[in-house]
Amino acid sequence: MKWLEFLVEPFRYPFMLRGLIASVLTGIVSATVGTYVVLRGMAFFGSALAHSILPGVAVGYLLTGGAKGPLFWWGTGTAIAAAFGIGAISKGAEVKEDTAISIIFSGMFALGIAIISTVQSYTVDLTHFLFGDVLGVSSQQVWLIAGFGILIVFLVLAFYKEFLVLTFDPVLATTLRIPKTFFEYLQLVLIALTIAVSLQTVGVALMVAMLVTPAASAYLLTRRLPVMMALGAAMASVSGLVGLYLSYYLNVASGPAIVLTATAFFGLSWGIRSLRGRAARLE
Amino acid sequence: MDRKRNGYFVPLIFLLILFCLSACAPAGTSTRADVDGKLKAVATTTFVGDVVSRVGGEHISLTVLLPYGANPHSFQPSPQDVAAVNRSDVIFANGVGLEVFLEDLIENAGGDAEVVHVSEGIDLRSFPSQTDDGHDHEEGEDKAHDDAAEQENGGSDDHDHDPGEADPHVWFDPTNVMVWVDNIQETLTRIDPANEDRYQENAQTYRAQLEDLDSWIRDQVTQIPEDNRYIVTDHTVFGYFAEEYGFQQVGAVIPSPTTEAQPSGKHLAELSDTIREYAVKAIFVGKDFDPSLSQRIAEDTGVKLVQLYFGSLTEDDGPAGTYIEFMRYNVKTIVEALR
Repeated sequence: MKWLEFLVEPFRYPFMLRGLIASVLTGIVSATVGTYVVLRGMAFFGSALAHSILPGVAVGYLLTGGAKGPLFWWGTGTAIAAAFGIGAISKGAEVKEDTAISIIFSGMFALGIAIISTVQSYTVDLTHFLFGDVLGVSSQQVWLIAGFGILIVFLVLAFYKEFLVLTFDPVLATTLRIPKTFFEYLQLVLIALTIAVSLQTVGVALMVAMLVTPAASAYLLTRRLPVMMALGAAMASVSGLVGLYLSYYLNVASGPAIVLTATAFFGLSWGIRSLRGRAARLE
Repeated sequence: MDRKRNGYFVPLIFLLILFCLSACAPAGTSTRADVDGKLKAVATTTFVGDVVSRVGGEHISLTVLLPYGANPHSFQPSPQDVAAVNRSDVIFANGVGLEVFLEDLIENAGGDAEVVHVSEGIDLRSFPSQTDDGHDHEEGEDKAHDDAAEQENGGSDDHDHDPGEADPHVWFDPTNVMVWVDNIQETLTRIDPANEDRYQENAQTYRAQLEDLDSWIRDQVTQIPEDNRYIVTDHTVFGYFAEEYGFQQVGAVIPSPTTEAQPSGKHLAELSDTIREYAVKAIFVGKDFDPSLSQRIAEDTGVKLVQLYFGSLTEDDGPAGTYIEFMRYNVKTIVEALR
């Protein structure tokens, strides 16, 4: 009975409930898309994309005079544009992929900060985009996250086979005449959308943790793709829940609490894996 | 083919970035023409700038570092600011740890300007105290608010507090700004004795205006029923104001004197409870700060979200163009919200 109270108590408050729904939803979506990010070694790309959103949000902010609603769309548009830009450059430029990504994302990020620094009238500061705050999510934003989340997960499932072949056997993809470029860019767009949607929960700085950590933890425990996705999504959702409890009972900010819980899950998965490995060797 | 096209794409992006950068170059600073050897003064916040210009009048050439609307907690100086500091004779700062950027700035700029903390000599409140205030209130519910404020004020010997823990938002109380006027007058007279009489005259005129403001505020506050005199804000700015005019600052969305912090779930839950418990009528937020957290709490608890000016004056023709207009605007809005 006491335990039940302990568990229910934080969610008497509407903002905690909205935060829970938002973080569980973004957790599921991020982990699903994040599985491909981990498998294809695109973690750095994800991090870069999150940072590249800043100038778009800043320009949107200047043009709309500070209205909060349109900022989401500016962020989403910039994320998609940056995904295409980084995709094109890392394919075409004469430098290594990580170099190309670094140049674009730090340039975009600097541009964002430069634009923000010129805003001199009475302004809402944009630093909350860097850190986000899941406790400040409005019910409208929860619906937005839910809508895009369903779309993203639907696309991942609908093109499950194509993405699978593309990830594990590019040669087979060519033989099967799968439009490789189309699906590669679709994947980039899905990552971009996921980032734009999840930004409110943890912000630019911690976004890549949502994308990578739960998926990587799942990767340590299984090699079967559907199981990996489900396990990652489960760990991400539980991280959201536990993170909010920690934020409530230990009095810490919510975003870092969620990310630290996800990190703890990764440590746990690592431990289980090495125990399993030892057991296998003993047999 | 593919490669060739992308070969143009990359330089194009750089050009675009350069173009954007040049397009958003700052449109000039507030540096005023420096003519015929006037005393060159720099002020940090727009409040300090306004008061310095009241006392100095046309006898000084003044540069204000913080642009209108900038949040003093997160301000970063530009190269022009560094140059202005380097050329100046005297720098007037709010002090009490508000200008985090100042020490580095002065070190970088060099020059031999004297730094004057205009808040020197004010009875500083220590921080944090919003939760304590709440408990105090529970214990002494029947205590008249004005009495409580008086007692706290009279009995305060907070001078030996660590300045890092002191509340820097001294400008919300005009009696503190009178101390600023004294400090500014004293400094200007010392550096530029030739204009002593002018400074004296200006300071006296302005002090009289501040006294008018003070009694006007006391008069306005009487319109608010005593049971409504509870203040909740986005970050704790109203400590001095509450003490002086008999309010209780019962909570803040960000439990910190700076806007650069994130609240925990626990804290927001307690704040919601406090708002219900005290039947707080409004949450006051600064216009220079993202209101979304405060807005959620206001929606959840069913109270008003009211915007005020906190960290900066507005442009000259705005509703808070001078310090006195700033206080009048805020007090009027508070009275309307709590009445």
